[in-house]
Amino acid sequence: MSATTFDPLKLLISRIYQKDAHVFAIEWADGRIYDYRLSDLQKNCPCARCRDEKTGRPLALPSSIDSGLQAVRIYNLGRYALRIEFTNGCSRGVYTFAMLREWGKLG
Amino acid sequence: MLDREICKERAENLKNVRFVIGVAAGKGGVGKSTVAVNLARACMRQGLRVGILDADIYGPSLRQMLPEETPPAKHPSLPERIVPAVGCGIKMISMAYFCESHAATAVRAPFANGVIAQFLQKVDWDELDILFIDFPPGTGDIQLTLAQESRINGMVIVTTPQEVALLDVRKAIHMCHQMAVPILGVLENMSYWQDPATGQKLHLLGQGGGRILSAETGIPLLGEIPMEPALSQSADRGEDIFSTAPECLAAEVLMQASRKIGHHLTGLEQMEGQYLKNFELIWK
Repeated sequence: MSATTFDPLKLLISRIYQKDAHVFAIEWADGRIYDYRLSDLQKNCPCARCRDEKTGRPLALPSSIDSGLQAVRIYNLGRYALRIEFTNGCSRGVYTFAMLREWGKLG
Repeated sequence: MLDREICKERAENLKNVRFVIGVAAGKGGVGKSTVAVNLARACMRQGLRVGILDADIYGPSLRQMLPEETPPAKHPSLPERIVPAVGCGIKMISMAYFCESHAATAVRAPFANGVIAQFLQKVDWDELDILFIDFPPGTGDIQLTLAQESRINGMVIVTTPQEVALLDVRKAIHMCHQMAVPILGVLENMSYWQDPATGQKLHLLGQGGGRILSAETGIPLLGEIPMEPALSQSADRGEDIFSTAPECLAAEVLMQASRKIGHHLTGLEQMEGQYLKNFELIWK
């Protein structure tokens, strides 16, 4: 734990916008822009209903997630995470900005 | 820049509050409420409009330290809204207004969270420069709610000098890191007692906890508050230490800490100004 390496200002969001029916983009404070497909996020949903309690692995098979999945609403939780209300009813996942940055880098 | 075409600012109760500052420790008994009340009083003396939200549902102490001139009330025209109490010009809300002073608030976490959510969403704070949130001890459900529902600009971490206190305080710092809440500084309370006759400092609870935390995390040390009867008496009597004993060292340390916090917040505000704060994207 070190505050010298921890900088919450790196995880600020400049813009968030819908690109098409299934993808949104985040522009981060450092100018990097990453795209996020909703079905990919749902496959990795961190909420208790989507994860095995013991192993932490996703409960649903990736192939069972509709690639055309959409969202109802996306909003911030405090200054550290997004909550996504998916059209399939899942809405409890806390997608931290740190997690989204890492996933964005992976493309 | 907020693009109103594609993403809108969320309606938010605290939108007219310039800064929200948490006062936390992770641990009980280090003097969080004393620090929160006196930082609020110090900021008030600097001409700022200040409020305090006492988030300690199970052990609220705000009312004793800062007696109200007007109690909280229903909003005259909006029945769901709460007008906060006011004492010495500071707006306040606390569970203490809604239960007997001797009665335990034995409620489960969902109820406690509901109360906190109401304090954040239904209290009519109007325009404030700073809202202090006096965090309860621990790093659990209520702390998560506070971090999610109020966009905290910065946290003041309170500790006492001994190593045992640091165990819990480190957890509070880690929680701030997880929630991406900037830490404004560490304020060490009960640092020492100074013998008025000899001037010798006695470190009754150990020495240097705040400095150790500061050194290992890089978080600035905002000050070391000595044990002084004037401080505990002012809290017990609901008096303003900056009026009753302005010359005492504790008052001086707290006033200096409030100035450092103000300086730090101004810097943060400049850096954060261009980024999104509370937003929602409605899917089309």
